[in-house]
Amino acid sequence: MNKYLPSILVTAISVALTGCLQTDAQDEKVLINKNPYPSAYKVLPSQMTLIKNAIVLTGTGERLDNADLLMENGKIVKVGENLSSSDAIEVDANGKWVTPGIIDVHSHLGVYPSPSVESHSDGNEATQPNTSEVWAEHSVWPQDPGFQAARAGGITTLQILPGSANLFGGRGVTLRNVPSHTMQGMKFPDAPYGLKMACGENPKRVYGGKKVSPATRMGNMAGYRMAWAEATEYKRAWDKYEADYANGLNAEAPTRDIELDTLKGVLDGEIKVHNHCYKAEEMAMMIDLGKEFNYHSGTFHHAVEGYKIADLLAENGNCAAMWPDWWGFKMEAYDMVPENVAIVDAVKNSCAIVHSDSDTTIQRLNQEAGKVMYRANDNGFDIKPEHAIKWITSNAAKSLGLENTTGSLEVGKRADVVIWNQNPFSVYAQAEQVFVDGAKVYDRHDEKYQAKSDFMLGQK
Amino acid sequence: MKNLTLFKSSLVALALAASTSLFAQSVAITNATVHTVTDEGILTNATIVMDNGVITAINPENVNADTVIDAKGQILTPGFISAMNQLGLVEVSAVSRSRDAGDKKADITFDPSIAFNPNSTVIPFSRSGGITSSIVVPNGGDDMFKGQAFIADLSGKPDSIVKKGSAVLIDLGSQSKGSRVLNLQKLRVELEDAKSMSKKDSKDKEPKRDAKIINALLAGELPLIAHADRATDLLELINIKKDFGINVVLAGAADAVRIAPQLADANIPVIVNAISNLPSSFDSLNVSLDNAGLLQKAGVKVLLTISGGTHNMYQLRFDTGVAVANGLPKNEALAAITANIADVFSLDAGRIAIGKKADVVLWSADPFELSSRVEHMWINGEEVNMRTRQDALRDRYTAQSDMPRAYTK
Repeated sequence: MNKYLPSILVTAISVALTGCLQTDAQDEKVLINKNPYPSAYKVLPSQMTLIKNAIVLTGTGERLDNADLLMENGKIVKVGENLSSSDAIEVDANGKWVTPGIIDVHSHLGVYPSPSVESHSDGNEATQPNTSEVWAEHSVWPQDPGFQAARAGGITTLQILPGSANLFGGRGVTLRNVPSHTMQGMKFPDAPYGLKMACGENPKRVYGGKKVSPATRMGNMAGYRMAWAEATEYKRAWDKYEADYANGLNAEAPTRDIELDTLKGVLDGEIKVHNHCYKAEEMAMMIDLGKEFNYHSGTFHHAVEGYKIADLLAENGNCAAMWPDWWGFKMEAYDMVPENVAIVDAVKNSCAIVHSDSDTTIQRLNQEAGKVMYRANDNGFDIKPEHAIKWITSNAAKSLGLENTTGSLEVGKRADVVIWNQNPFSVYAQAEQVFVDGAKVYDRHDEKYQAKSDFMLGQK
Repeated sequence: MKNLTLFKSSLVALALAASTSLFAQSVAITNATVHTVTDEGILTNATIVMDNGVITAINPENVNADTVIDAKGQILTPGFISAMNQLGLVEVSAVSRSRDAGDKKADITFDPSIAFNPNSTVIPFSRSGGITSSIVVPNGGDDMFKGQAFIADLSGKPDSIVKKGSAVLIDLGSQSKGSRVLNLQKLRVELEDAKSMSKKDSKDKEPKRDAKIINALLAGELPLIAHADRATDLLELINIKKDFGINVVLAGAADAVRIAPQLADANIPVIVNAISNLPSSFDSLNVSLDNAGLLQKAGVKVLLTISGGTHNMYQLRFDTGVAVANGLPKNEALAAITANIADVFSLDAGRIAIGKKADVVLWSADPFELSSRVEHMWINGEEVNMRTRQDALRDRYTAQSDMPRAYTK
């Protein structure tokens, strides 16, 4: 609070002195660059491509048998039967399945890379419970061999989040899964930032162990509330500066605070909340916390007890990103049910997502979703592949604020496409070809399209 | 000599099985597609009979049993054997008072079987993956010897322990402090010392407990499971096997593919994490989804295990499917989670053959597929209830009720 109080005082005094003297010349307006590390992503070389005779899961809930898909200039141009184009390269996908590129909303690739040496362990700034000032993108090592492995599993978009030691872990960044030797070269253009928050055991264990607050769940809540109260004041100061300046006053800008910039971004609706939170009672409180401070509580990650509050999540427009089956590693992960995703999904206006949080399962997010579908169908559900695919495509895109650009095979969207050798919900399924913005970035049968990280080059 | 040992252990298993299933009813499963994991291969429209805890007949002329189950063509396999986990020793990993798999002071004598909890909720959940027994290993402590493995079945019964002291576990390879050298040297020195002690013939002096265990290793009775990845470590273990005649089993072994012919020659089995394919350290630059298939083709006996934690060992069958998708033949893949594990740890199970422990699973479809499920499971010839705590939670929260969920039980 005292970080910016003087600047408010100064502003207040200067306003009082100058009153409404329009004749005063205004100082140059203080502007904050909200995109200081902009995307330098460029679409890889591509050709107009026509995929023929596939079973297509569109990501919108539809299944088209014997369908074709035309990609041009990075976009999906047409989906339907008997398409033809004299200019396009044809890919015969008879007997194969086509889906949107797979999206993982929860990854630590690049920030906890392979090899997991200390020198590259950059995912958790676990030095104080609120590190909203750190940005995961500043830790991303683009040479993590995990990116290539994920690409071979059909991952075209992924959000890299900071770890969960802190109440506020910092900003997450969404990447295109293309090889690059800079982070900016992978950064998804114009994707909103995420703010990683964490409930429960992790923050209280990490800081309680150091005899620093939070040491309890009530300490967690107090920590969030104090931060949001401070951020509210910060936003008010900047909003007032903006308004005064617009009114011609020579207002003085509040002192810049990198930590509060991020929280203000959430309050302004520009940054999306991604909240590591397992338990029903905690998620219910985090939803109310958002209402208390006038921001949306966003996507719950892990949400092992999501099935206990499926109604509440849907009513409040919260996505929940879940594993099919991880459990037992902590008390807050004890009440797992394999049908969790399906139960959350079954409510009207739901937004159920399957995520990985793993450099291993990110390579088979299709199978992770498949496990949910089959277990749920064993127990009274009737979920079809064309629906289950949404958990790792369009619903994930919605969580990241990218539903208008990727996550489904609709005309005009980014041509992020996977050709599978068979039903992607089979254990034997493999991605054969992967396209990002219409450019082939992976081909299982052509080494030319199998990227290799600098780290693995020349190793025996 | 080796055959004799095997024969003996199977007699013991028979006796044990008989004692635990005194009141068991005989069961016949008819019309099954039986994956025997023997030279008999796959039998269609087959009948198997189980009695007194063992398989007593395959395709008998007359089916004579207390219970007859028509498999309607479904697949019957030996129950899967999960290896290298802490089943029954950990309920919640981060809850210290629910953990018994390790201790700072643990050494080669550490035998965690005494702490095995057959009531752990991890057991029924693991059964949903078709797993009927497990090679449980300790996490150990500061010592390079992590302690002793034991074999438990997943019946959830008080007498679940099948065999104590079934292997010794050692952790070799790169160290966060110091060098890999000391442990490799220490292993050789301990074996040399024990060998020279036994030569001196200390008849009047009972060896200490740890010396007895080293002696059992030297006698080749007890497998030494060595966690190591880099080729240099694996080659030294091959040498140790040659020099001392101990029964070495490798676990992890990322570089095994680089020295596969040597491993095949030395008859050293490898426990492979089926889905491990990222180089987590400089020791493991050669991990790949192809490794299981490549090792098998090179003539190495491959055992598959999960790479995640104990709680999700039910996933073993899916990880095995991934190994199949990446080149391991299906029949070899099934052996890698049944017969091969049974052979390495001298467990008289893992095959559907007369006299074998009656741990069998009837599947709705291909057991490696995501879409299949366990229809029936028998452990020691007795059918096991497949319901889990997870089922109870799901049913509670999907039931229709005006009352709080806590009233739905």
